[in-house]
Amino acid sequence: MRPEHWLYTIPLRLRSLFRWAQADQELDDELRDHLDLKTEQYVAQGMTQEEAHRRARLDLGGIEQTKEKCRDARGVNLVENFFQDLRYGLRMLRQNPGFTAAAVLAIALGVGINVGIFSVLNGAALRLLPIPRAEQVVSIDQILHGRVKRNAHNGSSMFSYSEYLDYRDHNHVFSGLLAYEPFVEATLGGGKMKELTGTLATCNYFDVLGEHPGQGRGFLESDCAAPGGNAVVVISDDLWRGTFASHASLVGKRIILNRTAYTVVGIAPPGFKGTEPIPSSFWAPITMQKALDPWSDRMADDNLSWLAVLGRVQPGVTMEQVRADLGVIAGRIDLLHPGRTTSLAIRTATFFNRQMEREILTPVVSVILAAFGLVLLVACANVANLLLARASVRQKEIALRLSIGASRWRLVRQLLTESLLLSLIGGTLGSLLAFWSFEAITRLIISHLPHQVSTLAVNVAPDFRVLGYALGLTFLTGIGFGLIPALQSSRQDLNTSLKEDGAHSGPGKRSGRFLRNALVGTQVAVCMILLLAAGLLLRGLYHAQTVDPGFEMKGVATMFLNLGQQGYDDTRGTAFMGRLRQRISELPGVIEVAQAECAPLSHDFSADAFTVPGRVEKIGIEYNHVSPEYFSVVGVPIVRGRGFLPGETHDSPGVVVTESTARRLWPDEDALAKTLRESRGREYSVIGVARDAQVAHLGDVHTTYLYFPAGTQDNLRVYVLVRYAGDFPATARGIRNVVQSLDADLPVDVTKLEDYLEVWRQPSRIVAALSGALGALALLLASIGVYGVVSYSVSRRVHEIGVRMALGADGGEIMNLVLRQAMRPVLVGGFVGVAGCAAVSWVLSSMLFGLSAHDPMAFVIVPLLLLILALVASYLPARRATRVDPMVALRYE
Amino acid sequence: MIASVTEDIEMSKPSDLVQGTLDMLLLKILALEPMNGFAVSQRLKQVSGDVLQVSDGSLYPALHKLEQEGWMTAEWKTSENGRRAKYYSLTRLGRRQLEKEADNWGRLSSAISRVIKLKEA
Repeated sequence: MRPEHWLYTIPLRLRSLFRWAQADQELDDELRDHLDLKTEQYVAQGMTQEEAHRRARLDLGGIEQTKEKCRDARGVNLVENFFQDLRYGLRMLRQNPGFTAAAVLAIALGVGINVGIFSVLNGAALRLLPIPRAEQVVSIDQILHGRVKRNAHNGSSMFSYSEYLDYRDHNHVFSGLLAYEPFVEATLGGGKMKELTGTLATCNYFDVLGEHPGQGRGFLESDCAAPGGNAVVVISDDLWRGTFASHASLVGKRIILNRTAYTVVGIAPPGFKGTEPIPSSFWAPITMQKALDPWSDRMADDNLSWLAVLGRVQPGVTMEQVRADLGVIAGRIDLLHPGRTTSLAIRTATFFNRQMEREILTPVVSVILAAFGLVLLVACANVANLLLARASVRQKEIALRLSIGASRWRLVRQLLTESLLLSLIGGTLGSLLAFWSFEAITRLIISHLPHQVSTLAVNVAPDFRVLGYALGLTFLTGIGFGLIPALQSSRQDLNTSLKEDGAHSGPGKRSGRFLRNALVGTQVAVCMILLLAAGLLLRGLYHAQTVDPGFEMKGVATMFLNLGQQGYDDTRGTAFMGRLRQRISELPGVIEVAQAECAPLSHDFSADAFTVPGRVEKIGIEYNHVSPEYFSVVGVPIVRGRGFLPGETHDSPGVVVTESTARRLWPDEDALAKTLRESRGREYSVIGVARDAQVAHLGDVHTTYLYFPAGTQDNLRVYVLVRYAGDFPATARGIRNVVQSLDADLPVDVTKLEDYLEVWRQPSRIVAALSGALGALALLLASIGVYGVVSYSVSRRVHEIGVRMALGADGGEIMNLVLRQAMRPVLVGGFVGVAGCAAVSWVLSSMLFGLSAHDPMAFVIVPLLLLILALVASYLPARRATRVDPMVALRYE
Repeated sequence: MIASVTEDIEMSKPSDLVQGTLDMLLLKILALEPMNGFAVSQRLKQVSGDVLQVSDGSLYPALHKLEQEGWMTAEWKTSENGRRAKYYSLTRLGRRQLEKEADNWGRLSSAISRVIKLKEA
């Protein structure tokens, strides 16, 4: 439409909107004027005054209808009606406080938890980095295709240093491109022994991110001039406030990281925790990589993925230009590596950028959102049921409105306005609760996670995305629970509902009951799925608590030493380990000391592809390098052949395989003296067979696994396992003292071997708690739903029950009748829920520790529990039915 | 009694009017001079020789719609015989709209009459 058109119409619409009373008065006057003129005309034609007036009115076709048509023509009816509906809706809600409270509460719960979980996910994965002009900063991932041999440290889609330099020096789109290695572990020395997670960064890091240290300075170009040349560090505000107690003149002082002294040049601004979900405690120049981890020289390895790359896009440059420009560089790099093609994933940077992280995150997030969404569904079904029940009370009112000329859509609109009003109140309340409480809840959950992620840089405060989600969800909810009852109750046979008093026949009797039952069935089904998931996980946890992992966890203390990181070389490491093991074995109460590359269930894994000479098939086998005492310390017996002897090292040709590995490789044959070839071609022969034990993955007995003898190389990164008799604290203290006396700067953490179990159980514990809480919430809502529907149907049928009793039915029969009808939708819904859960429960199998995803215990107990609760929920109102006094009920008319 | 009402309503239905032509007729009539609703209905009947009858019940919503579209404005004036009445008059937009619709109508009606005048074989 042309603007001049609006010039005319807008004032008119506004006038009719804001001065609708006056506009209405004018309409009134206009029509009255018309009537007068018309009457005069008819009188002039010879009619009586009365007759003329009647004809004039008839010509107009009903004054009220015509007025209504005029209002419609003005297009303001929509708005006016809306306000009218709103006023009316508010009045209805005020008049039924019980109903309103129940509905608002259900919606608030449903919307609240959904908004809460969304704000957490939003904070974790959708929010931009909390840095100035974050929308300009993009993350770059490279995904390599083709036959590529590539080493990876942290993530395969990361960059090598030479690749980073290529992109940095040859792009035309960034005002700055930085690279960093995340999650660098370092031990803070100098009397404040502490394990830190930090970042190795290129020296433009703070400049590109636009973060300027609160005290001191960031990095200078000269800091990165030469490898190992400049031991400077910027520490986080948290570390400064925590460990260094806000020491006023820390800048310029030296701190020890992994035995090297670093000058603190700056303290990061408060609130800046790096660009990863796990906060960074310190930032060191990338050139200090080898000093922090002398084991590997990552800067020199052109084929190693270890650096995350972020770039700040120049103003005015589009994402397409960035892609095109970097694509050219990627193509040039590919030319140097025949057979390799690189595709780049470039996106505005958040806390989760890497392809692999996103691939893991997406399904997890979908499952979580779906689970929370299910609870909202149950809440909606509940409110819809309440509305349906109430609609039949209001049937007469609705019939009256229809009969005096309201259109069906007009009624549907009014009913929908009411439900939207309800959802808006509930949604607002729920969202407010969520904003207010979820930050605390998140902190609580995080504090229960395994200690290495005890803090997350997640900001759950609401932003426009969360508000949008809350609003969208609220409206969807309002329409979701309102539409069906509205359509249902506005479709009725006027004659019957006006004639009867509308109390005895439900609205559209059959379909009304069917709808209510369908809603109850849905609730029960959803509830069943959530509770079954919780039940399975709890069974899995119990299973993990009681499962026999095939080795003896009790009475073993364990400690991890990363000597390589602390600057030891082979010779010093071997000497240290020899002395250490000697001294520990002399401690009182210590029975035996062993060492291994991976402690049982420690989440340290090594694997290789092995072949059996004469066969083509490659078999992935996990392995461990262990000292001879390992088998007796962790209680894994050698069932055939022998274990290792004290003199055996990496050069010895013997390996010990597990029983299931032996069965897998040489079924029906003796495994002893058989040959096995590792991927680099070296051959080993089997000298012993060890009993199967779940040393690598809890709940998985059939992992193919073998043991190599430990050599001097294994001393630099080693688990020490100590079998002791007596109490743990004394033994642990003893072990700590031994380590301290040999090297006072070495961080030691002695734990029970059993504690590793906890890490395995943690994820399923969290998921079980979550699905249990959601299931309980759904159960509560569903019980209320069942109770509501049964008591409603009883109250509607007082008359019928009275008749039945007058005809001789006794209480038992009535109870039977009511319960039978109440339980039908519950049984159908329950069955659907069980079938649905059985179909999808395999997704949980990784958290069940070998328990079947169709565990009969869970699949019997949970449905039984639900059935009993549903019975109780329907028994209470059903009992009321048996107390109906036939005389009263019949006189009720 | 009830039956006669129904008849009345059916009789006065503008069933003879092609959809959308009522707007054009009203615009044309008001293009001559501003007038109130009653006068519009009288004029319409009079000019068309009683062929085009628009029920009062349809007339007013149509007028209001045209006003809403911005094709005419209305003002309250005191008529010759001293009563206040709502007078509709065409706006510039309304005149343009009338030209457009009259054009359309001309094309349509001549096309239809050409078809109707075809000689039967």
